[in-house]
Amino acid sequence: MAEQVLMPKQGNTVESCIIVEWNVNVGDKVEVGDILLSAETDKSTIDVESTAAGVVLARLWEEGDDVPVMEPILIVGKEGESFEIQQPGKEEKSVQAGEPAAAREEPKKISAPVSSAPAAGGSTPRARMLSEQLGIPLSAATPTGPKGRIVEKDVRALAGAPLSPAAKAQALKEGVVPPSVGSGMGGRVLARDLIKTPARVVVDLDVHTDHPVRGIRKVIARRMVESLRTTSQLSLHGWADARALKALRAAFKEDEETSGITIGDLVNFAVVRTLTEFPAFNAHYLGETIRRFEHVHLGVATDTERGLMVPVLFGSDLMSLKELSAQTKVLAARARDGVAQPDELAGSTFTVSNVGSFGIEAFTPVLNIPEVAILGVGTIVLKPVSTKNGVEFIDHIGLSLTMDHQAVDGADAARFMRALIDRIATLDRLLIRMGSNGTV
Amino acid sequence: MAQYDLIVIGSGPGGYIAAQRAGTLGKKVLLIEKEHYGGVCTNKGCIPTKSLLNSAKTYDHAKNGSFIGVEAKGIAFNLKSAMVHKQDTVETLRGGIEFLMKSANVETVFGEAKALDAHRVEVNGTVYECSYLIIATGSSAFVPPIPGSDLPHVLTSDEILEIESLPSELVVIGGGVIGVEFASFFSMVGVKVTVIEMLDEILPMADAEFGKLARRAMKDVTFNLGCKVEKITEKSVIYTDAKGERKELAAEKILMSVGRRPNIGGLEALGLKIEKGAVVVDEQMRTSLPTVYAIGDVNGKSLLAHSASRMADVAVSTIFGKGMKMRYDAIPWVVYSNPEIAGCGLTEAQAKERGYEVLVHTAQGRQSGRFLAEQGKRAPGMIKVVADKESGVILGVHLLGPYSSEIIWGVAALLEAELRIQDVKEIVFPHPSVSELLKDAVFALDSSL
Repeated sequence: MAEQVLMPKQGNTVESCIIVEWNVNVGDKVEVGDILLSAETDKSTIDVESTAAGVVLARLWEEGDDVPVMEPILIVGKEGESFEIQQPGKEEKSVQAGEPAAAREEPKKISAPVSSAPAAGGSTPRARMLSEQLGIPLSAATPTGPKGRIVEKDVRALAGAPLSPAAKAQALKEGVVPPSVGSGMGGRVLARDLIKTPARVVVDLDVHTDHPVRGIRKVIARRMVESLRTTSQLSLHGWADARALKALRAAFKEDEETSGITIGDLVNFAVVRTLTEFPAFNAHYLGETIRRFEHVHLGVATDTERGLMVPVLFGSDLMSLKELSAQTKVLAARARDGVAQPDELAGSTFTVSNVGSFGIEAFTPVLNIPEVAILGVGTIVLKPVSTKNGVEFIDHIGLSLTMDHQAVDGADAARFMRALIDRIATLDRLLIRMGSNGTV
Repeated sequence: MAQYDLIVIGSGPGGYIAAQRAGTLGKKVLLIEKEHYGGVCTNKGCIPTKSLLNSAKTYDHAKNGSFIGVEAKGIAFNLKSAMVHKQDTVETLRGGIEFLMKSANVETVFGEAKALDAHRVEVNGTVYECSYLIIATGSSAFVPPIPGSDLPHVLTSDEILEIESLPSELVVIGGGVIGVEFASFFSMVGVKVTVIEMLDEILPMADAEFGKLARRAMKDVTFNLGCKVEKITEKSVIYTDAKGERKELAAEKILMSVGRRPNIGGLEALGLKIEKGAVVVDEQMRTSLPTVYAIGDVNGKSLLAHSASRMADVAVSTIFGKGMKMRYDAIPWVVYSNPEIAGCGLTEAQAKERGYEVLVHTAQGRQSGRFLAEQGKRAPGMIKVVADKESGVILGVHLLGPYSSEIIWGVAALLEAELRIQDVKEIVFPHPSVSELLKDAVFALDSSL
């Protein structure tokens, strides 16, 4: 009796997984525990193991398909056994042994030839002969023959004044396209004329590579469009005096215990403190309701090889600066290594995206729905400030807040930003108040 | 005031060719000449010297023909008759130029030209207007300020062509083309000739091997190299030799042939850009004024009659036609001494200086059947071919021996065509001819087929 293998459930929040790569083909023998495929949730990559033993009779999904959890993905049975496929939204059908179970096309081979060589179509003997005669390299000709072949007239089209024997030899040897008129007798092209004309590199301007949108990329794409489609986003930009940040960072660096605390951690810490005072921004907009959270679950946007991931610092309002810094590092590393569990990557109430290390001053972050706001953190730059000592150049850090105007108003966001700017500027005093040296 | 499309100042081989070419194109052309049609070339240079050299060579052959069975007795060189023939030749050629100008509807006015501006030239008090102006005023023999150089027996090439009797001894100061040709002429007709040259070798444009062989071939001429003339007296030349010793040499006549200077007088009002005494031109012979061109010796680029004629073509084609450019890499030169010496392209040393890895072959004249038949085993003769090792392109050819002057144009043709060793091997040379030396030389460089 043929058995179905199901797409396993991944945590409580994952509804579907995208098949990245099949490890087995129809006809392969599998044991329980063999890895059948790798799949991506919207947060991480997982390996799906076989729950049945036997011969693979059919693969029910293709690479790139988004498969709801607990749906059958594979039929395993005895060789030659007949079975029934049941797929949601597809007609039930019976497949007989020997018939290709999934007559779907193999994914198209994507190749990216980059070459300055003549067109793949080659050339006709007459074209080659004329090329030799005139000293016009074949690589210079634009093929017009069938199947991209270079024909005689393609070479003749490039013919200009006659080439001296030396120029001819050199043009062919070096693949240089001779100028139509040279400096010799009657405009004859001499070898020295070739030097002045750099070889035209024949570039196929239509070279491209197609990369299927799948896995995390597909998830990000869907979520970003959904975010922009379903919310009313508005961004505010501001600058915070960064002298306290820099001084604290410099001081922490000296002590081995605190040396891991970065400017990003300090900003996050200030954000969390500010959010506790602005519960409207530590919230989800759910259409019918706005859900405000008692605790701050801070999402930290993390750049990984597979794409953007947002590990969550659950209960960040309960963490000391040191804990927050350490937790951030652990979660970011797990996201980068692709081992973060789906539950670690969902449930944030506010997100911070920090691109300061790239030198970006301000940008408009896209809301991580259903969150009500997201903070973009930029780089630190010197800004002229009028002080009692005249104009001073003071380090400032760029801050960009995008908020969902459905849930909050611009003035609310401005107030939040003002508070955050003040908090960052006076972070040293806050830390002293809370218990000294960032051990809070 | 007449309006011309083109005014040409000077009717030498640059100027008269420019006038003729433009006239043939239907342009209204005025040619201004201060003396005679033909300039230095026809009147005081190329032509009269060739006439005299031919007289001397014929005399020399008659005197030295016994080894080929010619025993001449009582032969003599009659300078007066030679001068008459020379003058007849010059005047006939002047007449030829006059006819050419008429055929091309070129007007000529004789007199000193004074350029008033880029479009106006004054001659004999009349001002002529033009759209374009070509300056072809040539050059003059340069007399360096050596004490005594203004004495009456110190001659330039202009005056020496008019002498009425042969001196007993002649000192030639300067071993360039002009000095060597006159040394050859006078030594052939029995004058004791000494050449004093400041450099280490005569004929500086030639491959050094050829200067050396030319000195050996002109066995009756004494060459004092590396010498500096200090003073000229009425009877002698005083110089410092290569060792720094002061020497005195008796001289009845002295030829001053140390070089020529462009004639830029009468052009002052134009304010042309002048460098090293020559009018500066671009590769199309344009001066610093857009409608004023300068061709021939006056621009100092290549002081040869045939260069001037080519420059005339380039200038006229630029003004009225397709706009040629001047190329200097294949201009042949000839010394019409006995024996003749000719060259075209780079010497071995010049090629190496320019970074070429060269292939070189030198062959003796007696390897040619015709050369041997006519000149005998002992006659000096040589060919040297220089080619680029990488491409096989012929870079230069030098010749010494009879007919060199008539062979060298072929070298110009193959340099202009940028032919390689393998291409020249496909050319059929007439047999027997001295020119076959070239064919043998290229096969010696690469004997493959």
